[in-house]
Amino acid sequence: MLRMVHGRPAQEGRDGGLIAQLRRGALEYCVLALLERRERYGFDLVRELAEVDGMVTSEGTIYPMLARLRRDGVVETTWRESPAGPPRRYYKLTPSGRRALKEFRQAWVRFRDGVDRVVSTP
Amino acid sequence: MAEQAVKEYLHDLEAELRDLPRSRRQELLGEIHEHIDSALADAPAHDEAEVRNVLDRLGDPSDIAEEARQRFGVPKTKSGAMEIAALILLLIGGIILPVIGWFIGVILLWSSRVWTTGEKLAGTLLFPGGLLAPVWLTIGVSFTSTACSPPIRQGQVTVQGCYETGPTVFMRIAQYVLFAALVIVPIAVAILLARRMRAGTAPV
Repeated sequence: MLRMVHGRPAQEGRDGGLIAQLRRGALEYCVLALLERRERYGFDLVRELAEVDGMVTSEGTIYPMLARLRRDGVVETTWRESPAGPPRRYYKLTPSGRRALKEFRQAWVRFRDGVDRVVSTP
Repeated sequence: MAEQAVKEYLHDLEAELRDLPRSRRQELLGEIHEHIDSALADAPAHDEAEVRNVLDRLGDPSDIAEEARQRFGVPKTKSGAMEIAALILLLIGGIILPVIGWFIGVILLWSSRVWTTGEKLAGTLLFPGGLLAPVWLTIGVSFTSTACSPPIRQGQVTVQGCYETGPTVFMRIAQYVLFAALVIVPIAVAILLARRMRAGTAPV
């Protein structure tokens, strides 16, 4: 899904692959952005992302990404008592995550504006 | 049963995540379990349709596992190559490379995650050496033998009586049955193990 794979079904073709890659890359930073304001537990994060149109096709695939972000040290988790039920893992941004988000934000705005200027129909 | 569906889902997921390190697998299973609990806590009715909906939104366990392998750079096990080698070696490994070939087959059999312990025991004990025993019986051992009495000297002539000792009819039948079992049972076990292999991973 990440890489362009030859011989994919026609409907997923070239453009489908590109959009999937863009989505995949951007999704990580959407997670960081959601955690910027407050810490959240997994289900909360996943449902928030699922609200964004076309962002998440299968909710379960967010968890491997969260695990990877944690291994990379941009987020960390703490166990917190929940109002109802068993304790939950809460995700929060680390200083390095905060830096990564800041850099992405600048790069993204430049990139988006640049592409928009060229691609947008008048 | 709604709980049964959740259990099955997590079980499938665990099997799909088999290529990941144990700690990583446990972490992901724990998170997804937590997700399901949270989602169901929000759902008022707690019925089958709600559970279905939660699991559908999570997506196919194989997609989650694929994402996890990509995120952590873990290659997917080439399923089957080792298992096929194991089955071939269990059957004829002992013939190609006497005894040792069969032992390698046993090691591969027990290294695989496809089969249950019971299936592995069957593969090992039915029968040790695979088809080596019937092949050896065919080549090396005749079902009849010749017995001779000690030579007796009578004047200038030495007399020795020889006669064929054939097995009785009953023994002959028993030998054929035994021979057939030695051929059929290992092949039957190999076929069963091969079928199990295609069915997927063993229940934990």
